[in-house]
Amino acid sequence: MFEYRQAEELRDAFHNRGVRYLLLGKSAAFVLGFPDTTQGVNVFPEKSPSNGQALVQALKDLGFELSDKVAAEIERGKDFIQLKSGPFDIDLIFAPDGIDSFEIAWKRHLEIQGVPVCHIDDVISSKKAANRAKDWESLPRLIAFRNYWVEHHRTEGDDCESPTEHD
Amino acid sequence: MELRQPNAEELRQWREEFDAAARRPLEVRMRYAFVKTHKPVLDDANYRVFDTMEEYRQWCERELPSWLGYHRV
Repeated sequence: MFEYRQAEELRDAFHNRGVRYLLLGKSAAFVLGFPDTTQGVNVFPEKSPSNGQALVQALKDLGFELSDKVAAEIERGKDFIQLKSGPFDIDLIFAPDGIDSFEIAWKRHLEIQGVPVCHIDDVISSKKAANRAKDWESLPRLIAFRNYWVEHHRTEGDDCESPTEHD
Repeated sequence: MELRQPNAEELRQWREEFDAAARRPLEVRMRYAFVKTHKPVLDDANYRVFDTMEEYRQWCERELPSWLGYHRV
């Protein structure tokens, strides 16, 4: 199970190794304040050889056991890599459905307590594009949260952390 | 297929939940967000790698029980 302490460790390990990434999926929505449950962490890393190498090092720092084969797949930036060989489950999604590129997502990402997070609209876009039964089930509530979040972010800021949009 | 539209009562309840969540710090929100239950097949390997998202989606539809929710609509 992913805990707050591990989120901090992930943030620090990725920062120390210079990994460019965004939280995606429900993991991102939680950080923005969406109350729901999930099992693992979804990370959207930038796809480049140097970022892949940094990511491998950061995952090893966190305690993930990566064979040479898996490390090479991460460095190559295969579209979807699921890891359950570490302190928590993590999905590395280099090419998420519904998001054109890392750069586009990065331009409007938010940073919450040092963690770079996809904008809620990108979370929704990716879930819509994935088009799975579980996404269709969660989307109405997620969209309602999006509207709530935008409303509060625009007017008073919320009682959670204040997201900062990046150019 | 169109998304289900929530009724007014659902929206009201959800907004109450969003308000409550907004009053909690991130640490507390995360304590209740991540749960661990065994998902058959999906959790039975240390790692999986897919060249493309389409390959991953097809694998989910072929290998996972539909009740897990990973099949496309």
